[in-house]
Amino acid sequence: MKIISRKSGILSVVLAALLALSACADAPVEDPKRTASDTGGHAMSAEQLKSAVNFDHELDSYVPKKDHYNFYFTYKTVHPWWDAVALGMEDAQRQFLDKGIRITYEYMAPEGASAEDQTQRLHDALSKDYDVIGVDVADDAIISPILDEMVDSGAKVMTFSSSDASEGCKRIAYVGNTHNYQDGADLTEALCEKLGYKGKVAILVGSVGAPCHEDRAAGAKDTIAKYPDMEIVATEYDNDSVDTAYDLTKKILADNPDLSGIICCNMSNPVGAARAVTELESDAVIVGMDHDEEALRYLNDGVIYCLGVQDCYSIGFDTICIAVKIADGNMPGELFPEKTNEITTVIYQEDAAQMLELLYGVVL
Amino acid sequence: MKPKRQITNKSIVMTAIIGSLVIIAMVTANTIWSSRRTDSATSEAVSEVSSFYLEAMADHGAKTLTNLIGSNFEQMEKAVAFIAGEDVRTQDDLRHNIGMVKTLLNLNRFALVDDDNIVYTQYTTYTGRSRHSFLSEETLSDRIITTVSPYGSSKQLCLAIPTSELTLMGKHFKACFVLLDISDIVDLLALDDEGRTSFALYARNGGNLSDTELGPVISNHNFFDALKNVVPEDVWNENYANFQNEMHGSLTFASEGAEESLYYAPIPETDWELVVLIRESVIQNRIRDISKRTQRASENQIIFASTAILLLAASLLLMLRRFSKERLDEEKETSRTFQNMANTDAMTGVRNKFAYTENETAINEQIRSGEIQNLGVVVGDINGLKYVNDTQGHAAGDKLIKDACALICEYFKQGAVFRIGGDEFAVILQGKGYETMHETIDALNAKVERNIQENGVVVSIGHSHLNADDSQLRDVFERADQEMYERKKLLKEMGAKVRI
Repeated sequence: MKIISRKSGILSVVLAALLALSACADAPVEDPKRTASDTGGHAMSAEQLKSAVNFDHELDSYVPKKDHYNFYFTYKTVHPWWDAVALGMEDAQRQFLDKGIRITYEYMAPEGASAEDQTQRLHDALSKDYDVIGVDVADDAIISPILDEMVDSGAKVMTFSSSDASEGCKRIAYVGNTHNYQDGADLTEALCEKLGYKGKVAILVGSVGAPCHEDRAAGAKDTIAKYPDMEIVATEYDNDSVDTAYDLTKKILADNPDLSGIICCNMSNPVGAARAVTELESDAVIVGMDHDEEALRYLNDGVIYCLGVQDCYSIGFDTICIAVKIADGNMPGELFPEKTNEITTVIYQEDAAQMLELLYGVVL
Repeated sequence: MKPKRQITNKSIVMTAIIGSLVIIAMVTANTIWSSRRTDSATSEAVSEVSSFYLEAMADHGAKTLTNLIGSNFEQMEKAVAFIAGEDVRTQDDLRHNIGMVKTLLNLNRFALVDDDNIVYTQYTTYTGRSRHSFLSEETLSDRIITTVSPYGSSKQLCLAIPTSELTLMGKHFKACFVLLDISDIVDLLALDDEGRTSFALYARNGGNLSDTELGPVISNHNFFDALKNVVPEDVWNENYANFQNEMHGSLTFASEGAEESLYYAPIPETDWELVVLIRESVIQNRIRDISKRTQRASENQIIFASTAILLLAASLLLMLRRFSKERLDEEKETSRTFQNMANTDAMTGVRNKFAYTENETAINEQIRSGEIQNLGVVVGDINGLKYVNDTQGHAAGDKLIKDACALICEYFKQGAVFRIGGDEFAVILQGKGYETMHETIDALNAKVERNIQENGVVVSIGHSHLNADDSQLRDVFERADQEMYERKKLLKEMGAKVRI
């Protein structure tokens, strides 16, 4: 299991940028952060890019106590992002099966993010004899107390993917993005730099109350707040729908023709925003999250400026591994941490083609 | 009239050598021509074989894939029928049955989907609308074949069929599907493990679906992007249109100094084109190897044939020379024989009147030219021949002639003896014979005189020698002949028989 801290991830990017800059002896050494004008500095090596999403996992030496585990996982909404997580889960499941350990699970979500729906699902799951129940928290304020109740009733509960429960929740462990706020801040910082720290920006968010989306939006807002010449003219929620993101962007651009940038906090935001920007021939700079194939193509075409790619595959793989340990009665400590951090890698236009090939086998 | 050209040994040798060289040159030229013709025919054959081979492979591959898809659909129908017939009450029951059909029917990643787009596999149940594009349809009315590009995985072929009649665990199921790795499908086709033949599946837009490399030029890139600057624009457009219109086609282009040929065939219902590529040099090299071996054999044959021809020519030459020599010798011998026969008197074995005349002509030439100063002629006549013929018969007469000749020859050993008439002989004496002429005549005459007493052979001889004023042999002969008659008379007086 590969656990990469956010700091080490950022450090590696910074080091790579420094190395790239140092190779140009005559070039003035500037801020090592990647900028749009510094096109050469954005390109990552193949190895760096591969480390953004790790598809080469192997089970650790832990020996499960049973030969069959049955889990229940629920996540915010039906969306390709969680399909990527599912593929990591299935990889772990296959590897356990090769060792003679059968893992069955349900991996369920509603068509639209809904704390109520998630609450119902969790109650249903509690009535069944699952070894572990895993939750991608739809709304931490609503779901966290329910998780506490479930734990109190004897259920083994963990959280996973990009949204953890509230601080102090009794869930046993979390696997996923622990730095959503910082991801939002980093993307926004890149946007501000690109725009010269001035101009109007809009924020697109996913689902109301979804911790990951809200945290990123918070990071974005706080970053914009640092620059007096920048202004947030709109903050809208697309409920993880590309079509909604598209409609919202068109509306924002209509209301703000001089819009300079759009900060997208989930996977559907940048796709919808890019479609609208392209259609309306806007110059708005888009920064956003995740690895949607269409978004990567927009990144390759220069419509999107940068994307924060999360390692969904590792999230899925590690979730199953830790679920097995939790099911065996283990608690966070030597075997696994209470929070397993998975990295986010910010990629730019120069990296898009490689990422498309890495994730989708698309050779441009 | 043109003079006849004489055939000499030299001309025969030259003819044999030139003939041999001409034959060798013709054989060599013919072999080289045949070899070049073979080369050219080979190239044409390679192209035809390549096209035929590729077309056959592509069509076969396309049929194989079509059969594979058809077979999977059939197995899926069987799987659904099997599960529908089972008592499935719980999710565990369903997972168990899905596991069974996967194993029994060899259905990879078989899954069922209920009306809520929840996907049921052997180990997992998940909400699948976003993961499987075909589930975006509310209902399925027919078989669906889609190509999917899962995150981080190779591209897959998704085959789905509606299951409108299937209800399990109180839920209605809308479809079942299987997922097949496209790279695995192509691996089934790639029989050539030496990488000389490449297979790849492409989408209509030329996107590589199988993650396989199609030679060094196209590699794993988009088919049409890779060929953009490799083939002429009209060829590129034609092939692009073929892809769009699900048609067969072929293409040849240069790559790293070799020619690459590819053929593509559409796979029905999939929006795929199966492309088979082969480096033509593979076939060409094979055939060229064979051709080179044949050429080497031809060269050896030429060398062998040339050597054989030269040896044969040399043998024939030697034989011809030997034969010619033998013929020449024979002719000489025959000529000699005939000459002898013409110049020899058959009865006595000495030279005849014809020989005497030849000698006379030659000697006359020498007399005229002054080459001869010393020459004597003895003329002899047999006494009593007619008498013997008349009284004792011709056989006795012939014997008398032979005896007389033998007598003359016995005494004139160093002279040329000629029988110039029935009972007449002439002896030409030169050199030693001339020097001893008188002694010899005296001895012979003495012998003849004794023979008169003893009833032996009696020959009357007269002689003369060449005088300075003699212009021809005849002059000498006539004086000798005159003397011979004088002698004949004398011998008659001495009792010898004479012609009456």
